[in-house]
Amino acid sequence: MNTDSMAINYDLGRKSWFSALYGLKAVLPGLLAMFFVAIFSNNLAGVPNPFTLQNLFAWLDGVIGPVHHQSFFQVLNSNFVWNPLLLGLIIGNVFGVPDCWKRGLSYIHMLMPLGIIMLAPHFMIGHAFKLGAAPILICTVFLFLTATMTLWISKLFKLDDRHGSIIAGGLATGDPHVCAILMPLIKAKGGQVVHSTACVIGFGLVSMFLLPVLGDWIGLTPKAMGLASVVGVGNNAQSLFAAFGSSYEAGRWATWYDVGRHVIMPAGFLYVFIVMFVRKLKRRDDETVMATRGIKTFPIWLGVFVFLWVLTCLHLFKEPAHHAIFEMVKWDFSLAAGALGLSMSFREITQHGFKGVAVTAVAGVLRIVLLLAAIALCAKTGLLAA
Amino acid sequence: MTRHTHTTDETGFDYMTNKGVEEQDRDTLGILFAVAIMAVITVSQYLGLL
Repeated sequence: MNTDSMAINYDLGRKSWFSALYGLKAVLPGLLAMFFVAIFSNNLAGVPNPFTLQNLFAWLDGVIGPVHHQSFFQVLNSNFVWNPLLLGLIIGNVFGVPDCWKRGLSYIHMLMPLGIIMLAPHFMIGHAFKLGAAPILICTVFLFLTATMTLWISKLFKLDDRHGSIIAGGLATGDPHVCAILMPLIKAKGGQVVHSTACVIGFGLVSMFLLPVLGDWIGLTPKAMGLASVVGVGNNAQSLFAAFGSSYEAGRWATWYDVGRHVIMPAGFLYVFIVMFVRKLKRRDDETVMATRGIKTFPIWLGVFVFLWVLTCLHLFKEPAHHAIFEMVKWDFSLAAGALGLSMSFREITQHGFKGVAVTAVAGVLRIVLLLAAIALCAKTGLLAA
Repeated sequence: MTRHTHTTDETGFDYMTNKGVEEQDRDTLGILFAVAIMAVITVSQYLGLL
């Protein structure tokens, strides 16, 4: 049975929106699989389970000790998305995925928009105002510049446009979560998403050693170095590793500036989606255009996200409501990432080869060079006070 | 066409395929549940229950 006949079968049996939930008997095994992957991966609100991958990594962090004031597994980007994805990937590849799980695992497609919408209260732009105009401008300009450069370089390297879009989102925002957020928008394959994430995290690991050397070589002040780490390395703990690797003061400045990168993250994935969506609309008949293929109109759920992001910026969601909503996001993404991990073989990830790595490296190095030049210029002209 | 054993069951249902009316229904349910969860939590806070 192909996907078209699957869709016809669904349409014939459909009664309402809730038909996409199927019957409880059909989805229960898959839901339980996602549930157990989630609760054995992360410490989730309301679950007093100590035997989690998160706790195992935290224990190992204690054995290894801090690296430049950061936990080793935080530097590797262990979090509520990648832990269940890793566990799902191992289970799926070692034991396989029983057929009875598959209806339940299809809930991933409902959980993705659900989780992304609930992320909106996490990005309050007002939190970045304390940084001042120049650092905000640098964060914003380099977000759009990096995304544009990466899309252009991926085209130059003839990389699959879905793969290139995912890398562009992750690299530009300095947040590998964006790779997963862009998956339903770009209509990327699971293997492309995980490969792109590995590229972004892998380049972060290289650049967190490279940036302090270059920054010290051109004589950046600790304050400028903090900003350069946040924008040039990103990925949270990796940027702090780079800054603390330069000096303690630079590290403290990086923790101060990180909010500037964080709060504009949605602009990064919205930009990549809109660029690729408009491109697809212009080249409807071009079979080489794969990104966003299958999306006919601007997704309503993305509109809901944007609306709630505006409400967030107007400070509608206060603490602890924001905190409680974010706990729900962790639950949601833990379940969805478990299903994503179960869906692919290791081969599907590795088959994408080194082209994605090369695109990430070229775009990432170009960003660092341009960024250091811009920050040095701002420091010389007094736009970025020492 | 080869069957993707990780995602496709013996009836041909592929859980990673998302298109057509089924996709619209899943998106709608995602929106409904997200707005419901956020509304309950936010209203609870404004009512002093959180």
